[in-house]
Amino acid sequence: MDEIIKVKNLEFSYSLEGTKVLKGISFSINKGEIVGIIGQNGSGKTTLVKHFNGLLKPIKGDVIINGKNTKEEEISELSKTTGYIFQNPDDQIFNNSILKEVSFGPKNLKFTKKRIKELVEKALKLTGLSAVKNKQPYDLPYNKRKLIAIASIISMDGEIIIFDEPTTGQDYLNREIVINIIKELKKKGKTIIVISHDMEFIAKICERAIVLKEGRILLDDSVQKVFMNKKVLESTKLKPPQITRLAQKFKRIYDGTLTVEEFFNQMYK
Amino acid sequence: MKENIIEFEKFEWQYGNNANFKILINDLKIKKGSFIGVIGPTGAGKTSFCYSIMGVIPHLQTGEMKGSVRIGGVETKNSSLSMLSRKVGLILQNPLSQMSGAGLNVEEEIAFGLENLGYPRSEMEKKIKEIIKLFELKEHAHRSPFELSGGQQQKVAIASVLVLEPDIIVLDEPTGYLDPLSTEIIFNLVKKLNKKGKTIIFVSHKFEYLNKLCDEILLMNEGSIVKKGSPEEIFTNIPLLKKNYLGIPEITSLFNRLKKAGKWNKEFTASVEKAEKYLKEEFPWMR
Repeated sequence: MDEIIKVKNLEFSYSLEGTKVLKGISFSINKGEIVGIIGQNGSGKTTLVKHFNGLLKPIKGDVIINGKNTKEEEISELSKTTGYIFQNPDDQIFNNSILKEVSFGPKNLKFTKKRIKELVEKALKLTGLSAVKNKQPYDLPYNKRKLIAIASIISMDGEIIIFDEPTTGQDYLNREIVINIIKELKKKGKTIIVISHDMEFIAKICERAIVLKEGRILLDDSVQKVFMNKKVLESTKLKPPQITRLAQKFKRIYDGTLTVEEFFNQMYK
Repeated sequence: MKENIIEFEKFEWQYGNNANFKILINDLKIKKGSFIGVIGPTGAGKTSFCYSIMGVIPHLQTGEMKGSVRIGGVETKNSSLSMLSRKVGLILQNPLSQMSGAGLNVEEEIAFGLENLGYPRSEMEKKIKEIIKLFELKEHAHRSPFELSGGQQQKVAIASVLVLEPDIIVLDEPTGYLDPLSTEIIFNLVKKLNKKGKTIIFVSHKFEYLNKLCDEILLMNEGSIVKKGSPEEIFTNIPLLKKNYLGIPEITSLFNRLKKAGKWNKEFTASVEKAEKYLKEEFPWMR
């Protein structure tokens, strides 16, 4: 399998004398994987993923993206490979029309006009924004601005796409849109990293989860195995989805059950 | 019988800048000390509903109001925002929109409201100490709120409203930005305040907490209250949830799956604890 992200003994702090936010992290991610990064606020999730597009550089250790050490690459180079969708869309959006915002990235990457048009149209369609593309981003409510932020990153067609809490503040319908976007990206073979507190969402889309606590990896395993590890979950106060918790009350139902259908099939197969 | 602390009567609000959006609440009475959950899709009017309890509607928004909203028997339109703010505390979605910015650090930010209401210093210090302890903000007490993470900022915003101990606490998706641990702390805290007799209006998408804690749920859509009922009544009603673009709890889905297969004809539940009990009773072989 192709290794697209490799993190080796990564340490980071925001200031020289400050406490370390990341305290020696190592793992790798293969091309095409969907990985959830979970943990409480302040555990270092966002700090970690900001290393993947060079927004942050290690103070110790290395981050290798697609074979390139981020220490030796410019952000502009790295952003061809890695797209990072900010948690707060307002930290990201700055153009005065949605179309301009979504076209900005691919234009910057000097793609051909034809390719830009295709990518932008696809991104707008996937996020359900085609009909409002000529509006100002700030004429749309916050939860729709989150979709604009997503569209303007996926239009860059990078190999790695990072979603930082894509479902916070989203209602059911928008959450379904985000789930659908990630499924579509997976089909295209993209590598996807999702930071989320929404365990049902993680269960629906991720195969693997990395649990962070205080700048260290507590657990890195399949989503099922992570949800079955009561000790680690308790120490991070994370709760598996409802259906998983119910499954864990029954001897005859697998503790790593992730969906209603899986639960039902174990009762009547 | 407990008195009604919030009463909406033939209430209509038409925003001045949006002819298409109207809030219409014909008749709603909320008893003192109740814990009310409010759910609905984006644009349902949940925030406007919160605003009309706080008096932000009609006092700070442009538009036309008909009918009345009474808080503790006093009509909001005949009262002032500063009077209302002693009775109602409003906590918003975005912690930053709530920060006064007046305080240099977390402690001063929390003190701001108390200072405005003229509390004596010794009492103020005691209250601030208590709330900082309750929210586990001690290590941040002397940092600027703007240096904190989103979750910690929301804690500060909530703490600075809760420290005033208003009779009615209105929370508009306060945990949207919070991690599971902080979310749990906020819900537990609000439950504690409710037990002390505070009336709670809690807008949230986190149905599992609402199901556990609320006396009643208001389901809003298109500016009105579509349905009022017990949490289980609402969260097990699949057609109602679907029609109003709301997610179906996984446990409700499981009972629905069992029903479709002809294995279940009793009432549904949306709670893990009840589901465990129901299934163990009905299907002893599963234990």
